[in-house]
Amino acid sequence: MIANADALLKPLTIKGLTIRNRVMSTSHAPGYGRDGKPQERYQLYHAEKAKGGIGLTMFGGSSSVAPDSPAAPWNQISVADDAVIPFFRQFSDRVHGYGGKLMIQLTHMGRRTKWDTEHWLPTVSPSPRREPASRTIPKEIEEEDIARIVKSFAQAARRCKEGGLDGCEVSAAHGHLIDQFWSPSVNQRTDKYGGSLENRMRFGIEVLEAMRAEVGDDYVIGIRMSGDEMIADGLSQEDCVAIAAEYAKRGLVDFLNVLGGQARDHIAHAISLPNMSFPVAPFLFLPSAIKREVDVPVFHAQRVTDLATAARAVAEGHVDMVAMTRAHIADPHLVKKLSEGRADDIRQCVGAGYCIDRIYVGGDALCIQNAATGREATMPHDIRKADVRRRIVVIGAGPGGLEAARVCAERGHAVVLFEKGPQAGGQISIAAKAGWREAMSGITRWLVSQVTKLGVDLRFNTEATEAAVLAEKPDVVIVATGGTPFRGHAKGAEQFAVTTTDVLTGAVEPTGSVLLYDEMGQHNASSVAEQLAKRGCLVEIATHDRMVAEEVGTTNQPIHLRELYKLGVVMTPNMELIEIYPEGNRFVAALRNTMTDAEEERLVDRIVVDHGTLPVDGLYRGLKDASVNRGQIDPDALIRGEPQPYDLSSGYALYRIGDAVAGRNIHAAIYDALRLCKDI
Amino acid sequence: MTGPVLLTTLFPGLVWAMAALALVQVWRRAALWRAGAAAPVAWLDGLAKLPRRYLVDVHHVVARDAYASRMHAVVAGGLLAASVLTALAILPPLAGSRIYWVLVALAFAVTAVGSFLVGARRYPEKQKRLSAGRFQILPFLLVAYAAGGTLTALLLALGGGGGVLAPLALLLAAAGGLGLAFEVRHGPMRHAAAGALHLVAHPRPGRFEGRPDTALQPLDLDAPRLGSEMPADFTWNRLLSYDACVSCGRCEIACPAFAAGQPLNPKRLIQDLVAGLSPAEPAYAGNPYPGGREAEGERGPLARLIGPDARIHPDTLWSCTTCRACVEECPMMIEHVDAVVSLRRHQTLERGALPEKAVGPVTDLRQAGEPGGRSLAARTDFAAGLDLPVLDGRDGVDVLLWLGEGAYDLRYGRTLRALVRLLRQANVDFAVLGAEERDTGDLARRLGDEATFQSLARANIATLARHRFGRIVTADPHALHALRNEYPAFGGHYTVMHHTAFLLELIRAGKLVPNRLEDVSVTYHDPCYLARYNGETEAPRAVLDAIGVSRREMGRSGRRAMCCGGGGGAPVSDVPGERRIPDLRMAQAAETGAGIVAVACPSCTAMLEGVPDRKAEIRDIAELLLQSVEAGR
Repeated sequence: MIANADALLKPLTIKGLTIRNRVMSTSHAPGYGRDGKPQERYQLYHAEKAKGGIGLTMFGGSSSVAPDSPAAPWNQISVADDAVIPFFRQFSDRVHGYGGKLMIQLTHMGRRTKWDTEHWLPTVSPSPRREPASRTIPKEIEEEDIARIVKSFAQAARRCKEGGLDGCEVSAAHGHLIDQFWSPSVNQRTDKYGGSLENRMRFGIEVLEAMRAEVGDDYVIGIRMSGDEMIADGLSQEDCVAIAAEYAKRGLVDFLNVLGGQARDHIAHAISLPNMSFPVAPFLFLPSAIKREVDVPVFHAQRVTDLATAARAVAEGHVDMVAMTRAHIADPHLVKKLSEGRADDIRQCVGAGYCIDRIYVGGDALCIQNAATGREATMPHDIRKADVRRRIVVIGAGPGGLEAARVCAERGHAVVLFEKGPQAGGQISIAAKAGWREAMSGITRWLVSQVTKLGVDLRFNTEATEAAVLAEKPDVVIVATGGTPFRGHAKGAEQFAVTTTDVLTGAVEPTGSVLLYDEMGQHNASSVAEQLAKRGCLVEIATHDRMVAEEVGTTNQPIHLRELYKLGVVMTPNMELIEIYPEGNRFVAALRNTMTDAEEERLVDRIVVDHGTLPVDGLYRGLKDASVNRGQIDPDALIRGEPQPYDLSSGYALYRIGDAVAGRNIHAAIYDALRLCKDI
Repeated sequence: MTGPVLLTTLFPGLVWAMAALALVQVWRRAALWRAGAAAPVAWLDGLAKLPRRYLVDVHHVVARDAYASRMHAVVAGGLLAASVLTALAILPPLAGSRIYWVLVALAFAVTAVGSFLVGARRYPEKQKRLSAGRFQILPFLLVAYAAGGTLTALLLALGGGGGVLAPLALLLAAAGGLGLAFEVRHGPMRHAAAGALHLVAHPRPGRFEGRPDTALQPLDLDAPRLGSEMPADFTWNRLLSYDACVSCGRCEIACPAFAAGQPLNPKRLIQDLVAGLSPAEPAYAGNPYPGGREAEGERGPLARLIGPDARIHPDTLWSCTTCRACVEECPMMIEHVDAVVSLRRHQTLERGALPEKAVGPVTDLRQAGEPGGRSLAARTDFAAGLDLPVLDGRDGVDVLLWLGEGAYDLRYGRTLRALVRLLRQANVDFAVLGAEERDTGDLARRLGDEATFQSLARANIATLARHRFGRIVTADPHALHALRNEYPAFGGHYTVMHHTAFLLELIRAGKLVPNRLEDVSVTYHDPCYLARYNGETEAPRAVLDAIGVSRREMGRSGRRAMCCGGGGGAPVSDVPGERRIPDLRMAQAAETGAGIVAVACPSCTAMLEGVPDRKAEIRDIAELLLQSVEAGR
């Protein structure tokens, strides 16, 4: 049991609402909304956390109260009309059935949204100042708009109450309309809504008073706000403490959900959603400072990925509730595991940001390591035992192979896992060697601890030959042999280029000047560039894309760019590597501008490339002909979530997963494994 | 024919002389018992019940060691029969009957056989648990008396009696017999006299009536002296009971603290009480307190018994888990735990000398009604989200669920949650006291703080009087013992059930339908306060059988189970030893090969789960039952 666990497992009562413990999930927009409603997928996602013991789960990040803050852009929830109420009822029944409490976030996003979706209404803000992140120039809000929006908030609160939700919070964080009024960086009005802090607080007060008047004093309403905007012309920590104290003193809010920073541009966004390069709980001091000034409970979320940190935050009195939002995406059962004394079984969030990075490009939130999250209707978080015990051989202890072994062992099968190398992890082990990406190894650590505990026969330093596999007399063989780095098609590349993998594994230790050519736009090239520059190399990173790290999501890419700028790495987009040839003991790289076809040359000590991987499929091909299914996974059965339609009485079935099929990513490998193996 | 006539007079005369000598020796010893405090004793009742207490209750304990049982039956039966028969030979018709002397010879011969059985336990190698010292002479005295007696009786049976053989035989018998009688004061034979008297004047006569007479006796807090500091503070029949100790060492083998190398040896403790009373007592010759401390200290009825420089070190007292294993094993029916608690009462109440680490919990218990100093309302925190019904003054309820101290423990909250869910599933009409439930005071009482215990008991009894409920169910055997057995002395009379018994009732009534958990092997660890203090060993096993697990028994189970180390305030006193008690117990559990150790007590759960590198899971019976009930869905 972790230290101070009892502090986390104490109930918290707010106005007669008793939350069973101090662990919560903050409102976010996982992209699961459909037609502006939280439907089955959305509900099951939160119900799973309630089932897993969470005290309070809040959904509907930035749920809109009015049509000029549209719900469409990130598949969000609209609370702007009564049609949402039946969905709320169904939702709250689901969560209450597991003993959890359910709240929503209500907001008007002001300028921080899009005008070119859904209703095509202009965005509004206290002053017509463009926000870099949302890219909109808002209309200066008029008093009539204010009155309308205040009323919308009140009506939205009524819908929450009628829908059986346990409460709601209004968002005044990340630059939404209320904090656009608060922040001098946005609000340059001269009327009663601008100027002094008192004036700037007015809109929020009107909103909360109207909500109170509508739903009564006993309904729980909180506010999400920043504890320090951390920009020169924004709200200082003193301003934020003053606002929190004033709102609490007026009895307008029943809790304060405090975070650090704001999100007006790329780097601010990345800082307010700290990734694995940050220490844990980097902004805990902000809610802590506010808690001293107010007598309502204080909540906080920001990279609290582990229960020990969460327990410390509560036990030391910094906060009353600790939000572990991404931690629940990785493991929705973490509270249950803690209270059952199985804290070691918790799949801990590594802070990869895969979930949130997908949202901001319009995708749905998925966990890099837990393929069941967000797929509760089809993918199990708890694996059921199989009716028939099979002998399963898995080859390759990368994420796909480990997950396959884990799921098969949970199913009750006898599992042998071959790993050629001395350790598990596959390409994760390589990625984790790069600076702040070290936390990636947490994915492997959990999987290895689980397969070990489940009694998988894990054979390190053992190459699986066809004979060795067949000697196990398997019913099912799963090839998860992963991929091998590809040097690309440039002339001379095969002979003269080294790969990012070579650098990370230490097979090559470049010195002097390095040209790093990237065709993937992923973490690999950026983190290798960072590492080489830190070792003293003069690095230029050239890419076929429009910018460096183009595929890396919004909470990670700014961190890469920040580090590359700080280290003086030269970033050259829109270039294609066409040829490499040696000159003396150095190399010449020929680059061609993808837009102009103009060619340039670089004379460097090393040329490092990243072209992703190609499958390692020799074993697969060797085993294919004798298998009952000729190595094929029936895609229809896979998608329907049914067992593969092969008769195992006459021989073994052979399946191939992860990068051994085609170079993709960790989530793909794990999802391949889970959805195949849950039915074996 | 003067020879035989003289012999038929001298021989019975010897036995009469032995009896007289024994009586004198007992009398001299009894003078010491009189230093003790007065105690009410039902003499006539005790005397009438003596044969039954000896033949049934004592024999039941003795018989656990088959060899000792046979040995004792033969040697004691022979000795008594031979001596009584010989003594009766002062009657001329008997003295003149050769057949009678054959009978006497036979009785002595049986004694002789028994004497060799006694000797075989001590020579050539003494059994480890036995004391040496004067006990090593015992077989020789017995052999002398029995051989001399056999020979003498045989000579008389043959009509002889002249010659040199007869005086030699008689001399041999006299040497042995008078030696045995002399030993009644300080030697091995004291156990016979004191033991018989102890059975008559036993301070807990209830234990012979088939009920567990295990409640600590209330202390009059207005008395001029509280608890025992010196031998004279014990009641006289307690002093007598310690003299009954035969130094057999069965308590020592059963004692968990002794096994863990903590400085407690129950035999030595009783012998120290004996030696503390009398400066003339010969030196102790058994195994020492672990750690090897040998302090003489003062002696005499008014000598201080406890102290770093006294006979008994305070750590010895605080090592006791009050598990009653020693009491359960004692063939002389000595009440070791009463002695420990009486001594602790003086340390705590008169000297304020609680162990350092126990001061906090006991102070919190006194001031906050809870040994962790936590708010009473927080006792139901474990059930947040379960909508636990709280009893209010108006509505009655069938079952009052007494949560106990375990409710504050994270691990144990799981057990209570399982229990609550089971009660819900069985549609039991139940409620808890909520913030009104105070600790039962068990910890304070075992640590000798009778004042805190009594104030908590009175407060809880007053609270319970305000509510209407059918019976109390609790998962905590310590709470169960206090509520069921100790509160009646303060006017609180309740029907109290352990959760395992109640769950069994629900299963038998069809209100809970377990599914069989095949492939699960379980060994059940009996809580001391349930098995030994309350004699309940069957219900938990019956629940496990209803679940269908493969049940395995540890070498020590039921009323003879070994303690987990969690009772009597031992975890807060925390006296260091060479090993930890729960580690020893888990090693015993591991010998069964069971994957799960089933428990039925919050202390056992905490102690056993705290064992490092544990191979087996620790699961309360309620948790296993819930798993089984839910397995069907």
